[in-house]
Amino acid sequence: MTSTAAPALAASMRDGYKDYGTGEAAVRALDGVSVDIARSEFTAIMGPSGSGKSTLLHTLAGLDKLSAGSSTIADTTITQLSEAQITEVRRKYIGFVFQSFNLIPSLTARENITLPLDISGTKVDKAWFDEIIGILGLGQRLTHLPAELSGGQQQRVAVARALVSRPEIIFADEPSGNLDSRSGAELLSFMQRAVKEFGQTIVMVTHDPTAASYADRILFLEDGQIVDEMREPTAERVLDRMKQMGH
Amino acid sequence: MFRLALKSVRHNPKRLILTAIAVALGVSLVAATQTFTNALSSGFSDLFDDIYSGTDIVVESDPDAADEDDQGGDPFAAAEGVFTPADVEAIGAVEGVSIAAGGLQVNGSVVGPDTGDEPDDPLASAGGAPSQIFNWYGEPRVDQSTVVDGRGVQADGEIVLDLDSVENLGYAIGDEVRVSTDAGVDEFALVGTVRFGEDNSLQGATLAYISDADAHRLADDPNYASVSVIAEEGEDLDRLASSIGEVLPEGTRAITGEDKAAEQTEALDEVLQYVDIFAIAFAFISLFVGAYIIVNTFRIIVTQRTREFGLMRAIGVTGRQIRSMILLEALVVALIASTLGVVLGYLLALAFAWLVSLFAGDIFGTMTLPLEAVGWAYAMGGAVTLVSALLPAIHASRVAPMEALRESATGGKKPLKVRNIVGAALALIGAVLVTVGLYAGLDKPYIWVGAGAAMLVIGVTLLAAQLLSPLAGGMRRPLSAWFRVDGKLAANNIQREPRRSANTAAALMIGVMLLALVATFTESLKSVVTEEFASTKADLFATGAQGPVPDGAIDVIESVDGVAFTSSVGFGTATYDDMDYAVAVLDPATAAETYEYATDPAIGELSDGEVYINPTIEEVGVEVGDEVVLTGPEGEAPLEVTGLYLSENEGAFFVTFPTGEDLFGDVQVVQTLIVFDDSVVADDAENPGGAVTFSEQQEAIQEALSEDFPLVILAQPGQLEQLANQFIDLLLGIISALLGSALVIALLGVANTLLLSVTERTREIGLLRAVGMKRRSVWRMITIESMIMAVFGTILGMVLGVALGSALVLSLADFGFNGVTIPWVWLIVYTVLAAIAGVLAAIWPAYRASRLDILQAIAADG
Repeated sequence: MTSTAAPALAASMRDGYKDYGTGEAAVRALDGVSVDIARSEFTAIMGPSGSGKSTLLHTLAGLDKLSAGSSTIADTTITQLSEAQITEVRRKYIGFVFQSFNLIPSLTARENITLPLDISGTKVDKAWFDEIIGILGLGQRLTHLPAELSGGQQQRVAVARALVSRPEIIFADEPSGNLDSRSGAELLSFMQRAVKEFGQTIVMVTHDPTAASYADRILFLEDGQIVDEMREPTAERVLDRMKQMGH
Repeated sequence: MFRLALKSVRHNPKRLILTAIAVALGVSLVAATQTFTNALSSGFSDLFDDIYSGTDIVVESDPDAADEDDQGGDPFAAAEGVFTPADVEAIGAVEGVSIAAGGLQVNGSVVGPDTGDEPDDPLASAGGAPSQIFNWYGEPRVDQSTVVDGRGVQADGEIVLDLDSVENLGYAIGDEVRVSTDAGVDEFALVGTVRFGEDNSLQGATLAYISDADAHRLADDPNYASVSVIAEEGEDLDRLASSIGEVLPEGTRAITGEDKAAEQTEALDEVLQYVDIFAIAFAFISLFVGAYIIVNTFRIIVTQRTREFGLMRAIGVTGRQIRSMILLEALVVALIASTLGVVLGYLLALAFAWLVSLFAGDIFGTMTLPLEAVGWAYAMGGAVTLVSALLPAIHASRVAPMEALRESATGGKKPLKVRNIVGAALALIGAVLVTVGLYAGLDKPYIWVGAGAAMLVIGVTLLAAQLLSPLAGGMRRPLSAWFRVDGKLAANNIQREPRRSANTAAALMIGVMLLALVATFTESLKSVVTEEFASTKADLFATGAQGPVPDGAIDVIESVDGVAFTSSVGFGTATYDDMDYAVAVLDPATAAETYEYATDPAIGELSDGEVYINPTIEEVGVEVGDEVVLTGPEGEAPLEVTGLYLSENEGAFFVTFPTGEDLFGDVQVVQTLIVFDDSVVADDAENPGGAVTFSEQQEAIQEALSEDFPLVILAQPGQLEQLANQFIDLLLGIISALLGSALVIALLGVANTLLLSVTERTREIGLLRAVGMKRRSVWRMITIESMIMAVFGTILGMVLGVALGSALVLSLADFGFNGVTIPWVWLIVYTVLAAIAGVLAAIWPAYRASRLDILQAIAADG
């Protein structure tokens, strides 16, 4: 099936299947997933361990290839692209925030933030850069190496790095997973602000109902399929829904 | 514990592969040389057995009793005859002797038919294999040759040649064969061909036999040099040898053929032993370089496994057990690597022997792997690996159980302070030792210089870490400008682990240092050569292809039109104060006009009965104004010291020809310098009058000589200079080749370090790829890192090498070195090669890095 993504979509997937291994040991991680990610929306993907939520994120972001089906980023179908072309797409349209090890240890905070721009050889938009670090409160920390920053600060640098090139979409994999609850809350509100104030699109994988409640929309994944969707969530509603899923 | 170590090696063999290869390469050098020399020894042992198998007893000058008689005098002559025909008869009369045959070798050369053609290149034709001309006896056991075609020599004026030479020289039975000696060219009728021993294995030499009387005439010697004895059937050879010994003249001996062969083999083995020692020295250099790699590898592995060790400590494994486990791992690697090295070495020896036998014929015995080779290989491989792994092992044993619980495996940065202090101290002591060794005139200077150089190298290695940090920091800016973020990251990575990068670069430094040292030495040597030839006014040099320049040839040269005069230089060995010294014999008047001798006063002032001395003799305490008594083979001469020769590289004493004749009788001329008169013009000069040019003049002289003295070679100073420089380049080439394995090992080290650091940085590289870095950029980043390390190591090595080489050259000023020539061309070549090598060394690590699976790389627990 070919992509029919409308321009308003930042990313989409049609009938995505992902199998790991072969024969007896084969595991189906994605089982016919179709999903649209609208622009300027904060989407959370939730599900129990093994539900395929990380796989969905990786295949949407082009880090991993679908076994069958197609996916797009902006208006580009990435399923057919070569490794080099996908790298190009990632560079142009995507920002990442991971759970841990988000920063290059030998680069300062500033250098880590501008890394995607340095890689593509794009000039840094000074005003935008200053605005981001102002919001994230990183002004005093720019010349520090990652080892000299707290966990919360490191993740904020990672968010700044994801924002600086104004990507079409940011994928975040348990961004608050390693943080204490206060730093986590701070980080998630920053992400929320980025969506509301700058129209940034963010897709986040999490298993934490509180974290998910910062999103505009939650997709629930079970056994490789999207089983439910929730808009304008609160932590309690999410928790209830998760309990239904036996989590 | 051993099982744990084995499992660990087996679990992750990749990280140890390059380490094992490095050890194996060093070890293979030892195994190869020993196998090779062993085969050479057994090959020649067979040959000597062949030669002396026919002869029951050999009677010859006793090498122990011989002194100036055959060792001194001139270096070219065959052994001088010591047995009169009466002596030979007396030996023949001893009871039990069946045949006693006097043997005599003629100093001369069989030359090809006179085709009337000019030789294309006189220098090239001079390098051919020598001729061996003997008297023919007619008994295969004595002659060691059997007639193949025709017949043996029966009358004067006849000759037989070995069957290969007949073909090579282009003669046929019945032809007149030209034999050139000191006295000129003689012609002999070829009556037959012979085969030497079983296979005529002469390694390219020409073997000829002439009649007894002709041999005595050409050798200008009525006596025999040796006597071959064939015993009667059933005679006890040892007893016979001792009864022959009773009738022999003073200073000679009788020895059985079997003993003689054994003696020759032993003498050869002694020479080959030096080859072995030489090779082992180079193997040590290789393994020394290898040691750097082993240290690095085990260090990195220990760091990577910090959490694993912490866990082991937490569940009750002692530090000592962890240490032995790592040492056992090293032992496993050493055993595998040494075995690999032995096999590789044996194959190398086989290949090399095959190559040599293509050119030199089958000179090898059976190729067996000698037991010593195996012993050396395992001992060296094992010792180097274990010693190198010791420090990392101790480090690992100190890992605290708490480390298992830490989030990140990479520990905090230790300051370089201790390393710097130790490094500076070692480098300083090393430099002092080298200086002392070179200039203090101690007994065994090379021990001081060697130990000093080793300490200097280790010291500089330690200091290199400090040096590398600001250097990489400084390179960040230009690298970022050229290669953007790839360059910046590469510089950062170098800086991040300065110890590791410095050790890796230092491994390359050692090999390059030795190369630069040798290059500095050889280039300075070339300058000496150039200067020597620049200070000569001679237009041509005449030398003998296989001996001295005959007196008759000098007369011929002087008779050619256009030759103004000649100046000959002779050499001999004379005894002064119970020591043998080289004595240069020259003609002061002409010498002063052909060459700028560095003497005080001028060489022209030297008169008969006087002598100039060089610094060696000055050091013995002789001064100008003293009287010295020199003893030569032909007599004594009391001489007054009237001047100094300021260089050590020629004779110790300088005398005139009349004085030389008192000492040596007929002085052997090693070189005659020819000066043309003004009628001869340079080849490239304007020549409107059609005057004779240099080349034409050279041809005219060669033509005049070709009749009677075809073995005299003429060369223009430029040609000789070129020839000398070729020899120097050859020396550089051989040493470079031997250092090759050290350099290859060093490059493996660069690759190894990068590979391990790629593994360590898996997640970082994954992150870079995730945020959009292309594979090509990852590749470039690793390559830049590799190039920085390679070029840094090379530059350090060159600085050290040129410094040590200069120190060496300056300390040899007495031998005519008058300044250091820095081999700029080589230095540039080395730097470029280092950069290329850096690119090559990065291939595998860069491939691995660029192919990393991003998902795995960023997985939460990498």
